Amino acid sequence: MRQLYAMRYVTARGLRGMAQAPLVQLLAIATFAVCMLLLGTIMLVWSNARSIADHWGVDVPVTAYLAEGTSEAATADLAARLSELPQVEQVEIVTPAQAQARLVDGLGGDERLLEGIEAELLPTSLEIHVRGGDVALADTLASELRAEPDVEDVVAAGQWAARAQSLLETLRRIAIGAAALVGFACLTIVWSTIRLAVYARRAEIQILRLVGGTASFVHGPFVVEGLVQGTLGAAAAVTMLYFGFDAVRPLLTDAFALAFAAGGLRFLSPIECAALVGFGAALGVLGSRAAVARYVEG
Amino acid sequence: MAILEFAGVTMSYGNRGGRVTALDEVSFAVAEGAFALLTGPSGAGKSTLLKLVLASERPDRGTIRVAGRDIHRLRKSSIPYLRRNVGAVFQDFKLLPDASPRENVALALQVLGIGPAEVEQRARKSLLEVELDPDTRRPARCLSGGEQQRVAIARALAGDPAILLADEPTGNLDPRLSREILELLQRVCARGTTVMIATHDPLVIDHVAASHRLELARGRLVADSDAVAVVAEPETSEPLLPLQPIAVGAVA
Ligand SMILES: Nc1ncnc2c1ncn2[C@@H]1O[C@H](COP(=O)(O)OP(=O)(O)OP(=O)(O)O)[C@@H](O)[C@H]1O
Ligand SMILES: [Mg+2]
Repeated sequence: MRQLYAMRYVTARGLRGMAQAPLVQLLAIATFAVCMLLLGTIMLVWSNARSIADHWGVDVPVTAYLAEGTSEAATADLAARLSELPQVEQVEIVTPAQAQARLVDGLGGDERLLEGIEAELLPTSLEIHVRGGDVALADTLASELRAEPDVEDVVAAGQWAARAQSLLETLRRIAIGAAALVGFACLTIVWSTIRLAVYARRAEIQILRLVGGTASFVHGPFVVEGLVQGTLGAAAAVTMLYFGFDAVRPLLTDAFALAFAAGGLRFLSPIECAALVGFGAALGVLGSRAAVARYVEG
Repeated sequence: MAILEFAGVTMSYGNRGGRVTALDEVSFAVAEGAFALLTGPSGAGKSTLLKLVLASERPDRGTIRVAGRDIHRLRKSSIPYLRRNVGAVFQDFKLLPDASPRENVALALQVLGIGPAEVEQRARKSLLEVELDPDTRRPARCLSGGEQQRVAIARALAGDPAILLADEPTGNLDPRLSREILELLQRVCARGTTVMIATHDPLVIDHVAASHRLELARGRLVADSDAVAVVAEPETSEPLLPLQPIAVGAVA
């Protein structure tokens, strides 16, 4: 009960403190929001890049296009022989009709893009999934397949997948680096505003200490202030990001139809949004704690 | 039983001009329930002595025991609980200038984690005791010196402390109010609270029936009406005051 009351006083004091300098608060929250918006944008780009990469055949490492006129029996025979191999997990026969259907599907169901492409022009192919998606295994298998008489061409998507993977990895590192930088900027924003508030209320801090306020009772209102700044700032950033994304999406989808058709552009999942707001709240608490830390001794 | 003990306490302030020794080997013991007067000319070290009891300054040497506990060996997190047991009226009042008397008094109750209704009720009671209108909304900075002093006294009493320290409690009051405040402090003492007043007000020195008189001069204790041998004995294991933390701390 005592804790509850103490928490109530602390929260009320924190909010009252914010209301005393609304302009400062607004500025702090706006700056915080801009920083978090940057972070959110990076997250959004990364999460879309990942989903596009996932969609574009990362798990189809080797495709063998068969020569025209290869009989169905020969195709089945080759598929059977391949699936006997220990390094092969699964073999799938893709007929010209299936290939056509997939292509249409992959382009977002827009058949106009395929006008003039006839089913017969697409060759029959075998999609060979290597155990564990191993790129090296896929490469050896690809060169073995090239020696097969019925095989006209082999595409080892593994190579492409590896490149996409390393690109994603780079993107991920950039995102983490940017997150650290943005985090630091956010901390600084909260730290400096709380610092000012601490300075303005230093007499009150001294009095609270002298009448027996515990460290958390004295610091609490400032931490509440930091928490509110961080949470509101991050929530504002997510909201801006959402509407910004909504506005830009049609333009991007038109410009990069082929690349995006696969999965379509996605906004951050609710969990990712919550994580972003949580991160903002945590930064707010950290920044304010750092700002009042020196006032432990009154 | 001594509630407050000083044993060989020396305290100096350091600044660029060198060190000023404010207290020099001060030893005394104040019994529980006493009405003690701490006198001495300006600069003698009276305020310094009171600050040491509140642990807002640290001694260079010596031990200070409140209810048998060496307060400078307390953990930092226990100091708030010491201060709740030691009400203090500061020479410069230390009021929030923009807050009303009631808000100022309420502050000392809120830190205890008491509910708002009880805070309100106890703050009113405390203000009525010092003859102030609990409903006035005038901020402390608009009150007269004497009124501010009474707010400070009300705040110190609000939490019902075991020891009440008052630094020049009559410094800004006219003789009539001075007498009333002194009567109030004596009533508080009669309820069982140990009271210690630091003053150089002749009215207080000459007319108050104090049970214990201490006199400081240039940091040294030159008179002690109730002198007992105070040695730096080990601290007692059984504290009189409930100095153990009451769980109000775990916020935020
Ligand atoms: N914060 C400080 N820094 C440096 N010196 C100080 C400080 N506070 C007090 N002093 C010095 O310590 C000595 C004792 O001061 P203190 O305030 O305890 O005296 P006092 O007896 O309360 O005087 P008064 O009756 O005028 O209030 C004085 O010489 C004073 O100048
Ligand atoms: Mg003084």
